[in-house]
Amino acid sequence: MGTAPRRTVGIVDYRAGNVRSIANAFDHLGCEVEIVTREADLTAVTHLVLPGVGAFGHCAEKLRASGLLPSLMRWALQDRRPLLGICVGMQLLADAGEELGEHAGLGWIHGRVRRLPVAEPGVRLPHVGWNMVRFAAAAAGFEAGESEDFYFDHTYGFFCGDPADVAAECTHGATFAAVVRRENILAAQFHPEKSQEAGLRFLRGFLACV
Amino acid sequence: MVKKRLIPKLLLKRRRLGTVERMVLVTTRGYEQVIEVGDPVSQAKIYEAQFADELIFLNIDSSPIEPQAPLLDVLRRAASETFMPIAAGGGVRTTDDFELLLANGADKVCVNSAAIADPSLIERAAAIFGAQCVVVSIDYRHDAQGSRVFVDGGRTATPLDPIEWAVRAAALGAGEILLTDIARDGSGEGLDLPTIRAVADRVSVPVIASGGCGLARHFVEGFLDGHAEAVAAGTFFCFRDQNPMQTRAHVRNAGVPIRVKT
Repeated sequence: MGTAPRRTVGIVDYRAGNVRSIANAFDHLGCEVEIVTREADLTAVTHLVLPGVGAFGHCAEKLRASGLLPSLMRWALQDRRPLLGICVGMQLLADAGEELGEHAGLGWIHGRVRRLPVAEPGVRLPHVGWNMVRFAAAAAGFEAGESEDFYFDHTYGFFCGDPADVAAECTHGATFAAVVRRENILAAQFHPEKSQEAGLRFLRGFLACV
Repeated sequence: MVKKRLIPKLLLKRRRLGTVERMVLVTTRGYEQVIEVGDPVSQAKIYEAQFADELIFLNIDSSPIEPQAPLLDVLRRAASETFMPIAAGGGVRTTDDFELLLANGADKVCVNSAAIADPSLIERAAAIFGAQCVVVSIDYRHDAQGSRVFVDGGRTATPLDPIEWAVRAAALGAGEILLTDIARDGSGEGLDLPTIRAVADRVSVPVIASGGCGLARHFVEGFLDGHAEAVAAGTFFCFRDQNPMQTRAHVRNAGVPIRVKT
């Protein structure tokens, strides 16, 4: 991190995310890590991460039940501070998800989360493994035009309502948003915390946005 | 296109050293002839440096997954020192076991005997943690009675046919199928391609083929002839001069889409 100011990364813990793995990655990058379960935990936080593992509806319900939504809205929408959604934490930003029935999302980045199609031979679901992410716009330290392999593990994809929000795409059965970006909100469908060097570079890029 | 995966499989056994119980890395042959190799976390770090795509940790003692289980300590350390996907299993009985493994650093959980005793475990785990988290591990043998699935670390035969059980497990919500031919384990004779292909062609989830890799060519066969999405190996990566990086170059030169280090 060199002489960069010390970052304190908050990870929203609403009992539906791989908090430990994300904490490990930011710890490795030299950050303080705060596990956020209530508003008061946000005091020292400079960068906030919303993880998510499991079914969309299950995660959305857990997040609402956590009581953290008002704090998250203040953080991301009112104060416009850096937020990173990962995997289902990205999908929750959409208007709605279609996994196991229709579920409302946060609607912070317009789009729907739909099951990836498996029409082509050789396309299996879940989409598990390393796949190429093509950056269409600069985001998280990657330049427009760059391509890099990241680790995915999901069945549903984020299909954006506004193409301007899509920073990077990936293709598996269909082309879906791999990275979305709108002002202070950044989110990835892949797992940067599990994507070795490329993933750590992505997380460093997130830390560089203020 | 999603890349094919090379997965080192780390088999673990409990060892008591004085008053401390810890887990050591071992290899097996035919699920017997256990050879102690070293420290699993050191080996995991080596595999990450060698650009492995994922790691599988299997506790072959199948001792219970409890908060003090040495397996959890291995996972915690591996997850804090490597930044790659980790699947873990061995002794998984309940969705609480899933939760403990996930909370301690696993990204996916392998379930074997307990899913056969109660197939609803697959459905319940997929509903809570997502199908992408549930790897159903199937150990089987071909013998005079035909092809049969074995449980309890390969010791107990079941009447199940491995192909039929894989199809059913996928239908119940398994996100991946890990197939291992017990007789080929540690043999270096090559993968059981007909069974791997039969399963891969009947399920729509990824199949991880395992048991028998002794040459880089065997991985290529698993992908091209077996239609596997991933090939896992224990003994091969532990003892050969080959490592995941060299194997990867061989697989890539055979025309298989695979990640390359840039």
